[in-house]
Amino acid sequence: MDNRRRRRVWLGVAALLFVLAGVLMFAGQGDSLPKDDGPQVEFPRRMRGEERERAEKRRTWVVPMVADAGTVTQERPRPRDPLLAALPRGPGRTAVVIEANALRHSPIGELLLDCMMRDGGKQLDEIRKRSGVDPLQDLDRLVITDEGMMLSGNFGNAKFQEMMGNAVSADYGEGARVYEPGESTVTRPDGTTETRRRDTAVGVWNNQLFMVGKTPDEVKAAIDRVEGRGPDGPSVIPEGSTYGEMYGVLSVEQIAKLLPPEQAELAQRLRDVAQNVELHVDASSDVALVAEVRGPDADKVTDLGKSLGAALSLARMKAQAEGEKEIAQLLDFARVQPDGDTFKLEMAVPLEAIKERLAFCKQERQAAEATAK
Amino acid sequence: MNPVLGIAGYVLREAMSRKFILAFVVGITLVLSVVALSLRLDVVDGALAASRLFGEEIRSSIRSVDVALRPVYTAAAFIVFYGGILFGIVACSDFAPSLMSPGRIEHLLALPIQRWHLLAGTFLGVMTLALGGTLYGTTGLVLIFGVKAGYWTAGPLIAGLMACVGFAAVYAVMLTTATLVRSAALSAAAGILVLVGGVIAGFRTQISSAFEDGLSRTAFEAVTLALPRLSSLAQAAGDIAASTPLEVHSLGTLLAGVMVFGFGALAVGFWRFEGKDY
Repeated sequence: MDNRRRRRVWLGVAALLFVLAGVLMFAGQGDSLPKDDGPQVEFPRRMRGEERERAEKRRTWVVPMVADAGTVTQERPRPRDPLLAALPRGPGRTAVVIEANALRHSPIGELLLDCMMRDGGKQLDEIRKRSGVDPLQDLDRLVITDEGMMLSGNFGNAKFQEMMGNAVSADYGEGARVYEPGESTVTRPDGTTETRRRDTAVGVWNNQLFMVGKTPDEVKAAIDRVEGRGPDGPSVIPEGSTYGEMYGVLSVEQIAKLLPPEQAELAQRLRDVAQNVELHVDASSDVALVAEVRGPDADKVTDLGKSLGAALSLARMKAQAEGEKEIAQLLDFARVQPDGDTFKLEMAVPLEAIKERLAFCKQERQAAEATAK
Repeated sequence: MNPVLGIAGYVLREAMSRKFILAFVVGITLVLSVVALSLRLDVVDGALAASRLFGEEIRSSIRSVDVALRPVYTAAAFIVFYGGILFGIVACSDFAPSLMSPGRIEHLLALPIQRWHLLAGTFLGVMTLALGGTLYGTTGLVLIFGVKAGYWTAGPLIAGLMACVGFAAVYAVMLTTATLVRSAALSAAAGILVLVGGVIAGFRTQISSAFEDGLSRTAFEAVTLALPRLSSLAQAAGDIAASTPLEVHSLGTLLAGVMVFGFGALAVGFWRFEGKDY
């Protein structure tokens, strides 16, 4: 082959190779904008703007000033959130707040609603008719404490008298009514009567708070705290900690009880090391959990954090080894952040994983609604 | 002996005689030694519980060691990729111009080999050098973190090999430039241009939206279509090093594309070299 011909061949080969390279690179990278497919989880680590605004709007209750002869200069009481005021005081107490309204309007809330309405919404309608309360509209927050339960919201249309029948009840404090436990006869909408037995005491405060306690005294104590007659200590959940769709403080004893028997050693270590656990769950997109464990001995707290971190790491490795991709992906986010006498444990569940698990709820709801039509 | 291999050996011998290359090897060894001696990792049941650098505790969270090391491996992959290509451009820019310098080129052309053998041999020699350096650095990194953390992964090694493919495309253009102009500076400039162009080409979809719809956007897309997508390759190398999902559609096709671009540039060099009078 003469030199000129050889050169032409090289040029032809070069052109061909450049075209081929262009095609290969185009096909290899693709020409669409890269999608951020990986789960991006936002952990609730501090109060955000909208949560601060929410907390401010909830400061609606001003404790009435005690009238005196005018000899003592009284500071005008600051408005406060009646629900936070009703919470128990002191260390070692449990109170977990579920932001029912915020949760209802979150993606996970939609999924849970599908599960609640698998019967086509019949049960929910029944609750609405009987109680006069629409849980989807009127309920704002739900609190679980070690003394009982509290609901906050707008209960102006609630049919408490019809629900409680002739149960023993009495007015209490400024605007509350307390219903004693025991038997009561309730008249049904069709005119027939029904005798019900209730083992818990119930209190209603200003049609805003609905409290359930083991005894009337517990309910009265909560009302006292709201109306400023209780102990003056700080609430178990300070206003600065009201962030996330679920938050609160769990006593170590309660957490230890929640752990399965095979985790007895961990439960005992928790009892020995920690004082309480502050919990925050964000469900605005993916479900992200931050638990802050606090204890008096910094070294022991750090050791416990390391043990938990190692346990999570082992669980992740196990999930990877067993081909449980979803669980392994969830545990990718798990981490422990030690900080002196506290450590923060962060875990997350991507929304997609929950959607897949709860997909049957939507199908059943749609089927039930189609049948009803 | 194959003439291409012979020339490659010649290039390697020349490289070994240069203090610059020796300094590079010593530099890598020094960095690896410092990392090996100063870094302490406390791993408990697969979780990175604490880490110390030069005796100072690094404030970090306790999490699975592979997850905790992801940013380290990603950063290492990017350093190897871009740092390696940049170093390669500077260190290897005068191999071809000096090979073609008066006095030497006549001697080489007098050898019973074809002209393209000379360029192919130079390319092969330089690539062997790049491959050796990359493997040395990344293997050292894998060994250090493997021994210290008990977490073994070939990710950084694969990322290093991908960096070599990227450098092959860049060096092919440098070699071709040397056949046009016998200048180490211009050869290095061409390499840097391809590197910058390659970074832009990887982000062509994102950047093209900044151009007005019409001729300017079409021209930009046409030019970047042919350039090696080095930033995409670097991103993929980072993802592989950190064992995270790849963003590219097909890594094999992308790699082949970048490699074929290099061969295309080399073919232009062969065309030019065959017709040049010395």
